[in-house]
Amino acid sequence: MKLEGEHVFNGPQADVWEMFYDPNVLASALPGTQSLTMIGKNEYEGKMFVRVGPVSGVFDGKLLISNEVPPESCTLTVDGKGAPGFVKGSGDVKFVAQADGTTLMKYEGEVQLGGTLASVGQRMIDSVAKSMIRQAFESLDKALQERIAARAEGRAAEYKPPSEAEFAAAVAKDMGKSVLQSQEARVIMYVVLALLIMGIIAYILSNLPK
Amino acid sequence: MSYKIIGQRITRNEDAQLLSGSALFLDDVHLPGMLHAAFLRSDYAHARIKSIDTSAAKQRSGVVAVYTAEDFGDYWHVGPLQVPPPLAIAGAKFNARPLPPIAKDKVRFSGEPLAVVIAESRYIAEDALADIIVDLEPLPAVTDLEKALQPDSPLVHEDLGTNLAADVQQEHGNYAEAAAKADVIIKRRFYIDRGASGAMENRGFIVDWDEKTQTMTCWSNCQAPIPLRNTIAANLGLAASQVRLITPFVGGGFGPKIMTSQADDVLLPWISMKLKRPIKWVEDRRENFLATTSERDQIHDVEIALTKDGRILGLKDVFYHNTGAYDPYGMTVPLNTQTHTTGSYDIPNFYTRVIMVFTNKMVVTPVRGAGRMYGVYVMERMIDIAAKELNIDPVELRLKNMIQPNQYPYKTGIIGQDFVENVLDSGNYPATLKKAVEIIGYEKFIKEEQPRLRAEGKKVGIGVVCFVEGTAVGPYEGARVNVDGSGKVTVVTGVSTQGQGHFTSFAQLAAEQLGVSVKDVRVITGDTGHFHWGAGTFASRGATVAGNAIYSAATKVRNKALQIASSVLEAPVEELELADGVVRIADVPNKFITLGELAMRANPTRGTIDPNMEPGLEATAFYGPPHGATGQGAVAMIVEVDPETYLVKIKRFVIAHDCGTVINPLILDGQIMGGVSMGIGNAFYERMVYDENGQLLNASLMDYLLPVSTDMPPKMELAYFSTPSPLNQLGAKGIGEAGAIPTPAAFASAVENALKDAGIEILESPLDPCRLWQLVQQKQ
Amino acid sequence: MSKLYPIKVNVNGTIYERDVDARMLLSDFIRHELRLTGTHVGCEHGVCGACTVLFDGKPVRSCLMFAVQANNHEVRTVEGLGDKDHLHPIQEAFREKHGLQCGFCTPGFLMTVTAFLEENPHPSREEIREAISGNICRCTGYEFIIDSVELAAQKLAAAEKA
Repeated sequence: MKLEGEHVFNGPQADVWEMFYDPNVLASALPGTQSLTMIGKNEYEGKMFVRVGPVSGVFDGKLLISNEVPPESCTLTVDGKGAPGFVKGSGDVKFVAQADGTTLMKYEGEVQLGGTLASVGQRMIDSVAKSMIRQAFESLDKALQERIAARAEGRAAEYKPPSEAEFAAAVAKDMGKSVLQSQEARVIMYVVLALLIMGIIAYILSNLPK
Repeated sequence: MSYKIIGQRITRNEDAQLLSGSALFLDDVHLPGMLHAAFLRSDYAHARIKSIDTSAAKQRSGVVAVYTAEDFGDYWHVGPLQVPPPLAIAGAKFNARPLPPIAKDKVRFSGEPLAVVIAESRYIAEDALADIIVDLEPLPAVTDLEKALQPDSPLVHEDLGTNLAADVQQEHGNYAEAAAKADVIIKRRFYIDRGASGAMENRGFIVDWDEKTQTMTCWSNCQAPIPLRNTIAANLGLAASQVRLITPFVGGGFGPKIMTSQADDVLLPWISMKLKRPIKWVEDRRENFLATTSERDQIHDVEIALTKDGRILGLKDVFYHNTGAYDPYGMTVPLNTQTHTTGSYDIPNFYTRVIMVFTNKMVVTPVRGAGRMYGVYVMERMIDIAAKELNIDPVELRLKNMIQPNQYPYKTGIIGQDFVENVLDSGNYPATLKKAVEIIGYEKFIKEEQPRLRAEGKKVGIGVVCFVEGTAVGPYEGARVNVDGSGKVTVVTGVSTQGQGHFTSFAQLAAEQLGVSVKDVRVITGDTGHFHWGAGTFASRGATVAGNAIYSAATKVRNKALQIASSVLEAPVEELELADGVVRIADVPNKFITLGELAMRANPTRGTIDPNMEPGLEATAFYGPPHGATGQGAVAMIVEVDPETYLVKIKRFVIAHDCGTVINPLILDGQIMGGVSMGIGNAFYERMVYDENGQLLNASLMDYLLPVSTDMPPKMELAYFSTPSPLNQLGAKGIGEAGAIPTPAAFASAVENALKDAGIEILESPLDPCRLWQLVQQKQ
Repeated sequence: MSKLYPIKVNVNGTIYERDVDARMLLSDFIRHELRLTGTHVGCEHGVCGACTVLFDGKPVRSCLMFAVQANNHEVRTVEGLGDKDHLHPIQEAFREKHGLQCGFCTPGFLMTVTAFLEENPHPSREEIREAISGNICRCTGYEFIIDSVELAAQKLAAAEKA
């Protein structure tokens, strides 16, 4: 499955780049992460709890950062397996400093899925993946702000990852939003609204004192 | 031959039990002390096994044992082959790679078993699967049939040095010469895929080793109980008489339940002997998709040579067949393709070559139709395409080339799945086609209705195809018929039953000869404790092959009853009749003796007997045909394609069919309709979708669509023909797979006709709305 | 040892009191705890309908429910319709019209149909076809099942009049 997109970070390119090398930040960005340790210069190892619809479980994974051109681009390679199946993939990430001091991040990658995740979770994988990525960016945004603030205030940064419940709620909200965004759903909403209003008016009119 | 009970449309003996929920299916069996098994299956389609750590699983409370391939020691063995290689075919190349029960060193398909957990409950066993730590080194997967034969392709079996599983060429006449003489040569490539059998009941196995009596009892919902029992006994070094295998009621077979020597029936008996406890395993639906056999893709390069007035001079078909990661079932499926291509037509020159390929997918074994459908598909599509090119009506073109009723026995020159030449024994092929065409109102539709509806913007189309169905192949089946001292009749045979009404049709065969009521005949199928000779239920052979054995055995019992009654009633045999459970003098109804009494007289407990007599009213008989009997038919179908969604609605479905003598027309109807619904599934709804890593992406009924009631035509219109087969005394032919074989071809033909404004040519199966839309877009 | 929950379920008129695991499926409870094996499991993910039972009179997929959810509720399974010597008119209709072959999906159909005919005692063929579209049968092609339901409706109507 192909994953691509962009995101604007509210901070300088150098800070954004450094965040990716901070295991605390990364661990907080992806909820469900149970542990994330740096085992080599560019290598992380960790455990992450993943849920895609009815399929859930803990993944053991490795994350490798390569082809680095700091602070502009790198390649992330991920290799995870667990009871729900396996995930393998890699993606190229580019950071472009913007004139207004923000950083545009572009990513493009390919992920292979296998096991129960692939054979039963097919319908939901796309939307769950997109939601996870969106969530991750939000967390990273918060982390970036915290990092900048902490430096300004001369203290250590504190990262608070969202809880699994919050994450699940957010995924559900995202999926609900994508349903509501469909043309038909909007039309139906307007029709229902119109009928409701007509119904109320009719009721009022029929109950006006004679 | 006119029968009193055979041919009667009577309701079934087995229904009261099934309807009241009191019928025993495999998972209903409950034994004291029973343990439950669960298999850990590979996620990767192709990988080297580096290590499997079961220690954590063994620690879990409720887990009794965990085994990997290593734990079975010398018991771990590969195979045997279920079906022998086609040595009868000259020049056949076959690389045997039987299925291992559990993976050792390497996994070759996603779903291949890696470990088995035995626990106090199924829930705990499945929990323990997540405790097992497997270290697999993924390898690139082989999934494309043509790429698999490229020199740089990864190899499923490295020791073989190739992914070629088999190469079999057969020729009747000389195609090259025919092509040289032809006015028109048309070439096309077809891509045809099938899917899972989708039986409502998944596979399962129960085994109980009794240490005290040194006997093993197994329950299986397989279609071949006797060979399976024999294999289990041989595997364990037991005498066959120490092992009993029982098939209870089975929730649908459709082919994959014929495949045995898999993880469950190889490993669980050994484990039961070790643990000295009964063990049960029942598959869940996802496992069924991943690790039970199914049928898969074939790619055909076909060439047809014709004269310009529509006489087919020859046909050439070179095709790739996907056998999956192993080939334990030999070449049954592709051989069926080869013998069913020329089908109903008299084509004097036919060359067919199958290139069977290993890929990283689960093994392919027969699914209702068993390879016949692919051959029928390419032939019927080529005829439609030729009809268009030669500007001849497609029905006319078929009739022009059909085998005529005076051409039987028609020798096809092609060897089939039973390793003998496929000979068409009887039939009236033009009649079934003409009937189907007549019932659907072909002329009227083409000339009036279709133009009118098209003018209204409705995309309606008609398709007409013919098909043959090779059935009732050998080697043989057997049966024993017995009347006991109380007059109760029992019929026992080796084949097992999966819903096709054996408990009734077999009873009818015995009742016909014994003059008893069908309801009073007890039928036992698929229990090696009662009968242990036979091959199994496949190739639509149960009713014909086992049926003939039953009829013969019943005839022997009848004759013996008449003999004994003759001396008791002091009347010649010719004056006696069997009816109402007695033997009596015809026209003198008060001079009679009951069958029960006759049985007792034939089995004295004191005194002496005639040295030539065997005791009781019992007889065993066997029947083995010289080759299979071939049924035939024609399908006509009208569809409407929604111009925006490309959903296809079947407006009318007609099938005219000939299967020789019919034992029970009610059961016959059910078989045809059931086959048609599977054919509709294969044509438009079902497809097992794999990605290029050999991952099955739709291993659930949510995403693998089995047709439901609203996907059926408003009414299935059936027409019957019966040209009795000269091959057996009943004149019967099989019927089980008939509905599934022609339907995808008919569907393609009708949909292509419906979309003829778009000018598309349909050369593939299955179809779906997305694909139809794509084909139309590509043309524009 | 995981915690067990005491439940009390009325199945076909009999009250059963058992202690069950929270995650025990209702289908497994009916089949293996109560040994009422007429209800069958075809997919365990709620699609095929073979496990259909009536829960407080409404058809549900017992494979998608937990036994604990049935606490203080009423469940009706195929065993509650009739026995093999005294078939319910709906069962009798299926027998007469050959509405079953292997019989595995049949109990699910019977329960769906029982609820359907209570709601719609005089359905058209089209309505019947729609009503059973949530139950999968691989053997029959559905035509004879529709015939069976039609006949069942007639039998029930006749019994009503009598």
